[in-house]
Amino acid sequence: MNALSPPGVHWDPYDQKYFANPYPAFARLREQAPLYYNEQYDFYAVSRYEDVERGLLDRDTFISGKGGILEMIKQNVPIPPGVFIFEDPPLHTMHRSLLTRVFTPKKMNALEPQIRAFCAKALDPLVAGGRFNFIDDLGAEMPLRVIGMLLGIPDEDLKNAQARVNENLRTEAGQASDYTDHSFIDEGYEEYIDWRAKNPSDDLMTELLKAEFVDETGTNRKLTREEILIFINIIAGAGNETTNRLIGWTGKVLAEHPAQRRQIYENRGLIPQAIEELLRVEPPGPVVGRYVAKDTEFHGQKIPAGSAILFLVGAANRDPRKFTDSETFDIHRRRVPHLTFGYGFHSCLGNALARIEGRIALDELLNRFPEWDVDLDNAHLSSTSTVRGWETLPAYTPKAGKATSVTATATAEEAAAAGAEKWKIVLKTPMGPQEMVMSITRDGDGFTGRIESPMGSENVNAGKIDGETLSWTMEVTKPAKIKLSFEVKLDGDTMTGHAKLGMFGKSSLTGQRI
Amino acid sequence: MAKITYIEFGGTEHAVEVEPGQTLMQGARDNNIPGIAADCGGACICGTCHVYVAPAWRARLATRTEIETATIEFASDVQPHSRLACQIKITEDLDGLIVNLPESQ
Repeated sequence: MNALSPPGVHWDPYDQKYFANPYPAFARLREQAPLYYNEQYDFYAVSRYEDVERGLLDRDTFISGKGGILEMIKQNVPIPPGVFIFEDPPLHTMHRSLLTRVFTPKKMNALEPQIRAFCAKALDPLVAGGRFNFIDDLGAEMPLRVIGMLLGIPDEDLKNAQARVNENLRTEAGQASDYTDHSFIDEGYEEYIDWRAKNPSDDLMTELLKAEFVDETGTNRKLTREEILIFINIIAGAGNETTNRLIGWTGKVLAEHPAQRRQIYENRGLIPQAIEELLRVEPPGPVVGRYVAKDTEFHGQKIPAGSAILFLVGAANRDPRKFTDSETFDIHRRRVPHLTFGYGFHSCLGNALARIEGRIALDELLNRFPEWDVDLDNAHLSSTSTVRGWETLPAYTPKAGKATSVTATATAEEAAAAGAEKWKIVLKTPMGPQEMVMSITRDGDGFTGRIESPMGSENVNAGKIDGETLSWTMEVTKPAKIKLSFEVKLDGDTMTGHAKLGMFGKSSLTGQRI
Repeated sequence: MAKITYIEFGGTEHAVEVEPGQTLMQGARDNNIPGIAADCGGACICGTCHVYVAPAWRARLATRTEIETATIEFASDVQPHSRLACQIKITEDLDGLIVNLPESQ
């Protein structure tokens, strides 16, 4: 232990306990170890805004040429030319400049009608049911189709290739990935390049085939087939998973802030600033790695050349030195640039595309689902060292909650008369104990039922029986519109358990059979 | 305060007072000047605060940094006198500055 790793301050990108909520650990790093050293994995990390900004801009000290992911840097993986995200000048400058021209905001904004059409195709079939999944239905669909359209690769082929690219891009949960045998090229795209070379179109692939540039030897030349192949692999990978995660965070965070969501619904002019605030509070790529090419220092502490350093964008975005009330989601905050797209020469080339996709996705979601709640019990947060976001995020609208419950209209009294179990439950809510009466009609490993309380009479949803454990959900509109998720254990004539009360936290409950 | 005139592509002029220390981009944003998107908020990564600096004023500005030169490639219709407004810090010396806005960002 020393000043760089004081007691009680710990973080590493593999430890699962930081995935659900890394922000308390980020705050400790920012305040207690602004230059942090992790002995176990031998890396440095900085977390304050000005340090992350400085590091990302200083491409001579903190080079990209050994990779941007901790394990890649540590394993000293050879990186072929064309992997522009992991290049340094002069090659990076040339490759990036070529790609900048094909990803301009003007070109990306011109995709709006197609992006809207992809959203409509994904969401329209779900409107009547009122249930949808931010990832399965939209996040995993729309960005992929947009990239496919840009590249001129049919959706299905892209999806197959993408599955393999994602495997390459992603790291395993809770552990470092082995990059020693990593290939930056997927075989899936080669035939399209050859075909497109013979059949030019107006897509990005054609543009790359035609592009000429002056290379590091001063020669005016076109890109090689291998360079194009690598470009396409990186673009497809980068343009898909990260935007998918942005869409997931849009669903999660706005469900937790219904008042701000309502404001956006009523004034769509707020969408751009809402997307920026979402990007700030929940960056899909919270960590950026670099290799330290020459001795340097932060806060008077030396970092030797040859080290690996992580720039914690997710921590910098919540640095109270830069953002007022930095932990709060506030779409109206005075604009300070977040670092989610990075900073400096390696900042996200696709930022204009990500922004237009994120904005349209939110607009089209609100057009169909002005309100939604997310089913966090059935959601799954990905847990890799590179990307943070939802793998699956089911949601439903208030209307759908009601629609599914019309089948069971019996009151608890009537249900009891018909042979249902009847329970008296006391739920210890933040407003004091609430008494309720519940009927349960078992049906295999599921059940239906109804709960009557001073808050009203509601059907239970998604009733499940697993041995002596029962779980169900319920929606109430008073005192606020929230979804309650219950889990209880039965022991003869008593039950104990808890209910999650949406954003109001968790309350314990006890019950007696009556 | 420095008086700055932003001229929209269509010719509409907006003469506003900008506090020294602010950037040319912030001056436009705080005065609701249309035609400057400034999507990234001033990080010099998006290229959507593109302006043309009137000839008389070019020499008074600090030259473009490498990152500004790289990012300005995102913009359309880039000219030798193109600049990114987020990279121009307003000083008293720039009182009277005139910039033209491009057709679109």
